[in-house]
Amino acid sequence: MSEKTNAPEISVKNVSMVFSDSKGNPVQALKNVSIDIQKGEFISLLGPSGCGKSTLLRIVSDLLTPTSGEVTVCGKTPRETRLEQKFGIVFQNPVLLDWRTVRKNIRLPLEMMKVPKEEQASRIEQVLELVGLKEFGNSYPGQLSGGMQQRVGIARALAIQPDILLMDEPFSALDEFTREKLNDDVLSIWRKTNKTVLFVTHNIAESVYMSDRICVLSPHPGRLSAIVDVDLPRPRNADMRGTPEFAALVEKVRNSFEGI
Amino acid sequence: MKGKVIKNIITTVGLPVLFGALIFTLWQTKVLHTLFKTDEIILPLPTRIGSIIGDNFTNMLPQIASTMIVALGGLILGSIFGYLIGVAGAVFKKWGMGGLTIVSAFNAIPLVALAPVINNWTRDLSSVVDIRSTVAKIITVTIFCTASMSVNAYRGLTEVKPFLEDLFASYGVGKFKMFFKLRLPNSLPYVFTALRVSVPACIIGAVVSEYFAEQVIGVGRQIRENIIKGQFPTAWAYITVACVMGILMYVILLIVEAIVLKNRRAR
Amino acid sequence: MIKRITSSKGIVTAVWVLGLVVIWEICAFIVGATQRTPVNVLPHLYQIIGSFFDTKSITGSGDTIATLVFSSAAETLSRALIGFIIGMVLGYILALLMHLSHIVEKIAFPYLMIIQMIPILGMAPIVLSITGDISSARIIIAAILTFYPVSTNTLAGFKSVGRERHELMRSYGASKFQLYTKMLIPSAMSYFFTGLKISAPMAITASILVDTLQGGNGLGCMLSQSLKGSMTRFVFWDIVIFSAVIGVLSYYLMGVIERAITPSKRKAKKKAQ
Repeated sequence: MSEKTNAPEISVKNVSMVFSDSKGNPVQALKNVSIDIQKGEFISLLGPSGCGKSTLLRIVSDLLTPTSGEVTVCGKTPRETRLEQKFGIVFQNPVLLDWRTVRKNIRLPLEMMKVPKEEQASRIEQVLELVGLKEFGNSYPGQLSGGMQQRVGIARALAIQPDILLMDEPFSALDEFTREKLNDDVLSIWRKTNKTVLFVTHNIAESVYMSDRICVLSPHPGRLSAIVDVDLPRPRNADMRGTPEFAALVEKVRNSFEGI
Repeated sequence: MKGKVIKNIITTVGLPVLFGALIFTLWQTKVLHTLFKTDEIILPLPTRIGSIIGDNFTNMLPQIASTMIVALGGLILGSIFGYLIGVAGAVFKKWGMGGLTIVSAFNAIPLVALAPVINNWTRDLSSVVDIRSTVAKIITVTIFCTASMSVNAYRGLTEVKPFLEDLFASYGVGKFKMFFKLRLPNSLPYVFTALRVSVPACIIGAVVSEYFAEQVIGVGRQIRENIIKGQFPTAWAYITVACVMGILMYVILLIVEAIVLKNRRAR
Repeated sequence: MIKRITSSKGIVTAVWVLGLVVIWEICAFIVGATQRTPVNVLPHLYQIIGSFFDTKSITGSGDTIATLVFSSAAETLSRALIGFIIGMVLGYILALLMHLSHIVEKIAFPYLMIIQMIPILGMAPIVLSITGDISSARIIIAAILTFYPVSTNTLAGFKSVGRERHELMRSYGASKFQLYTKMLIPSAMSYFFTGLKISAPMAITASILVDTLQGGNGLGCMLSQSLKGSMTRFVFWDIVIFSAVIGVLSYYLMGVIERAITPSKRKAKKKAQ
């Protein structure tokens, strides 16, 4: 944790976001949010629906432009970073193209980045290995279970070798068993690849289990109500979920919500 | 924010109207005629068509009424008949599915070809031409409107959310009650989906069946007769009337749908 | 298991077809017993099918019914196909333009709706007199009838692509061209084929209808000549059955083409555990 003195990888300063609803009335989705995220950190954005956590993730990745405030990623604007293809995004739905096989789904971003053919193939095999889907490369998404589809989504995000992995409630549609398995898989991938991860979730236990730090967001208007450091040792394993330390952290996070 | 909404309305209405005005001007100034290499006799100016409708409207009324009776009669009969087929399909599920596959194949059959022979079917029905011809036309339109209604009604009656079926079963409700309290209301939006297909189809069916009918009456028949006689402006006037009838019926359908399904559509 | 279900479904359909044939035959029997000229009302199916394979020539030039039906079908259906292709291409282009530009969408959409509401087939006679040529009239009417289902369905397909799919492409910094070729166009494919399935039988119907308005060599012309009594009434019945078969086949053909070009449709059904 000593390298935290370096310039932050992602810096969010006083970001606010105002949408207008269907009747044209303004809705404050985020209000004055500031966070610094270091390189290689695993950060969770935690909160109930409507707290703006997904909005914040989209602002960092330049899918949305904030109404006010400033975001820098690797010292550049989010737009520059996006066009350099440094973001790997995993969505809530796997968003796979059902007319392409698993391999061709993972190839999609590589085609667009004009990665040479041989390198495409080697990268695809590498990420398939990483997510444990080696035998399913030629299957179509419709033939896979939900958990496997989401693994393909993760593999596709990793294939572009991003600096930053953004995950938007990636496991919220999965059952608890699959979710916990994928939690471990993501942690081991993270350990091997050393990416900066921004992980959006509404599951308190999941955020405690996964993160270095948890940014707790509260709704109406969306705001940062606490940042909780998770000092559980790494590598983490399923046994830790039952420890008093774990329970204490869950309790601490739960108590830091405001006004729900 | 409110200004944005107003601007949106202006562009949504304004742009198409502007485009329509442009076409109208091109037509009126005969630019269209040069484009299509045609003349004012075959493609009369819009103002001329308008004045013909204005001058002859009272003469046109019986023709319009005749077409309307055929179109509406066939639409109503076809929809009821189609819905009953859908009900039968939903009751005998296994056999219903197969039957509806056949019925939906009817959609792909050029039913126009049947219009002439239906005249033969009704020949012995009455010695009065008007009656038997009208019946023949209504049968044609009925066939036109049956298929889409039966397929949609079947879907509406069977595609009930699975939990709801279980919920009703848990109340110990009989099949009959489940049908009226659950399946019937559930099918309502599907009925409108079917009507969106069959309302335009009933006008087309009425117009086309008139081409082959014994009785020389109706908007469609007038289009054809006037073209044969070389009276193109009058034919155009009837085409315009047919289009207006189609649009009016569709708009009425949309309004009724909006009222009936007011609380159904989410958001 | 799956095989058993599909085969039983096949049996159900077969029973239905058989049932309809039986009903037809019963009606034909009643008609035959009560009418003076049953062939004008409802002949037996075997008579219709038999007449199709009859080798007796029915015209001065020595055509049998079958050769007559095939030659006039070639005439009509080739025009229907040309119109269908023109309408398909134009409809697709309009859908693309409408999706690319809000202004085009706002201008064109109300008119697309109106085309759907008005009886285009009712305009066939006037199109015929404007073009003065039956072949062009067939092509134009078939093209218009193909045009709007393709256009509206394809546009709906483009619009059905969800927000996350757009965001995915945006996160890769995809160009507009890549967005369309890699995401939107393949996504909208099944919608496009829905449009084609609606319009293929319509294009055929339209061409036949235009035929009936004027003499010539098409299916519809033969149909009305047969009705007027200038050739045997079985020509009419053979054409009715023939066009019904062609109409249904055209629908299924679109499905076959769709499955041929989208392999995922074929495989998705076998789900791995």
